[in-house]
Amino acid sequence: MAFPIEDRQGFAVIALSGEVDLNKSPDARKVILACLKKQKHVMVDLSAVEYIDSSGVASLVEGFQYARSNHLEFGLIGVSDAAMNVLRLARLDKVFRIYDSLDERLANGS
Amino acid sequence: MVAVQDKNHRFRTYDQQLMEETAVEYTVKPSDLPAPPKEAIRIVQACSRSGIDSRDLAQLVSNDPVLTAELLRVANSAFFGLVSQVKSVARAVTVLGNRALRNLVLCISMRDALRKDSIPGFDIDAYWEDALWRAVSARTLAGLAGVDADECFTAGLLQDFGLLVMLYLRPEQVDQWELLATATPETRRDLEIELFQCTHDEVGITLAIGWDLPADLALAMGYHHEGPPEDTGEQDVRLCKVAACADWMAAVYRSGNKRVAVQRARELLGEHFAASPEQSDFLLQQVTESVAEAATAMGMRVGEQLPFEEVLREANLRLAEENLSYQELTWRLEQTLAERDRLAGELERELELAREVQKSLLPHCEAGIPGVTGLNLSARAVSGDFYDYYQLADGRVAFCLADVSGKGMNAALLMAKSASLFRCLGKGIHDPGKLLGMLNREIFETSIHGMFVTMVAGVLDTVSGKVLLSNAGHLPVLHMGPAALIGSYAAAAPPLGIIHDCQFDNQAFTLDGGCLYLYTDGLLEARTGDGRRLEEEGLLRLLKEHSHLPLASRPAAIVNAVVDPGGDVEDDLTLVVIEGTKVHGLR
Repeated sequence: MAFPIEDRQGFAVIALSGEVDLNKSPDARKVILACLKKQKHVMVDLSAVEYIDSSGVASLVEGFQYARSNHLEFGLIGVSDAAMNVLRLARLDKVFRIYDSLDERLANGS
Repeated sequence: MVAVQDKNHRFRTYDQQLMEETAVEYTVKPSDLPAPPKEAIRIVQACSRSGIDSRDLAQLVSNDPVLTAELLRVANSAFFGLVSQVKSVARAVTVLGNRALRNLVLCISMRDALRKDSIPGFDIDAYWEDALWRAVSARTLAGLAGVDADECFTAGLLQDFGLLVMLYLRPEQVDQWELLATATPETRRDLEIELFQCTHDEVGITLAIGWDLPADLALAMGYHHEGPPEDTGEQDVRLCKVAACADWMAAVYRSGNKRVAVQRARELLGEHFAASPEQSDFLLQQVTESVAEAATAMGMRVGEQLPFEEVLREANLRLAEENLSYQELTWRLEQTLAERDRLAGELERELELAREVQKSLLPHCEAGIPGVTGLNLSARAVSGDFYDYYQLADGRVAFCLADVSGKGMNAALLMAKSASLFRCLGKGIHDPGKLLGMLNREIFETSIHGMFVTMVAGVLDTVSGKVLLSNAGHLPVLHMGPAALIGSYAAAAPPLGIIHDCQFDNQAFTLDGGCLYLYTDGLLEARTGDGRRLEEEGLLRLLKEHSHLPLASRPAAIVNAVVDPGGDVEDDLTLVVIEGTKVHGLR
């Protein structure tokens, strides 16, 4: 897998990075879905994402939809400015659960 | 080959220190070697001493009665063909001369250097049978190479002695003998590396030095594969070449792949001795004819001796078989390529059809509605963007612009669905927000892989210039006056297809002589002259620069400022321009 997964305090944390475009999105999608099939709590770390296009967003949306219909937790942490701009413009910041960091999520509870 | 110069030097001087360095280089150390036939080697060295008295030499040989008897037997054999029979050592020394005596003593003593039972489970005679073919092959080359026949024979007999030593040191590999014996010289060396982690020529050289064998033979033993060092004397070079050819000539009869052996033997004989293929075949014929006689002379056994014609037949049969499978392979490849081209053609036709269907979903310019125009470029054969506009029954104009996530065929299919839904449902639902709500539910129910659609839908009253629009996750719609931006209408709700129940609010405003620009991210991401993305700031600048142009030519002029006309685009790119009251005023 192109993106690393870390197990942190009961969460699978997937770190996406660089340009998440049509080339990398299929990998991101695979990693996200694979994690959701194994773990109840999944966070995607977007702090190192420099660019994300609509196919990259679609892989996040798919994770979101899968988690929602299977009663799992799916959120985004440390969203970079570049990624946040895209999410805000599309009003997706109101759709995803977004946290500054995993610690913030742990402090606030689900 | 770093130590080539040193190796060569060593043979000349027999320098002890350099010998030890060699030992480090090779897997087999001199201390691992079997004990040399010391008496025989003393005679060999005496033969090479200049000015040695023939009586002293005869005396030296006579000291070893077993060697003496064998020497006289071999020297008198038909194969070595002395003019008259020699009955005493003294006579043999005189008739043969020092050099021939040296070679005969070497052949006999090396043959007997390892006792028959010294390698458990291995029949040493099998090795010598193999070596004999090389010896006879080498001897047939004497005339052509201008090297003494006995010298050639000895070199051929000893050139692979390293392999026998390897088997002696690693008897657990004797089971591999058949494989080694029937391999071509090249494959045999590869096998040796695999089985012993060293080769017979490397070990041969170590042995030649360790046993103090004559330098010319040591060179032939060590360099019949890779060729001798550069400053080797001409005669020694020729002996190495003889050994190299002998290897492949023997393989013609011994190896399993006669086609390769015949071809390589002819090539080498041509390369080293300018022999024609006919000459080469004649020499190969001689080998099989004289091997039995040589076996008798040397007291070695020899197995099947195929006539050369039969070997050639076998080689040609193999060649025919290989050609046949090559032809079949070529035929299959041609078939596969033809099939690939046919499928690619079919796919291209399908794509062309898909492209046409997509085009038909976009509004036709000729059926244009005054005051609205659009342009779409796709990054691939088909596009994930679309726009549409049409007149409602009450005279107002409904319009939309949308971008499906991703690219390619799956995006194009969702684009077709969304466009059809907009045109079909939009004729009944004139409230853009409600229309998007309905589209959202339809798309959500069937969308897969997280695909979504960002869309702006609106209604323009061309009389009053009033606009009602709703933005679902799409880029802001820009409202431009003649000199400056009047307003920007960003998304108030997420894209279609993500959440089932979602409210899409309307935004209402009046054009007031300005223009509306709807665009997809393909335009913002298009690269400007300095390689950077256009972004919103650049787009605003472009829109201002082109605001004076007539509506019909404006979208193309704006797009051409960042995309080469006719060139490829990185992403689907769409631009819709709506010019309000000015058109209305003209009507």
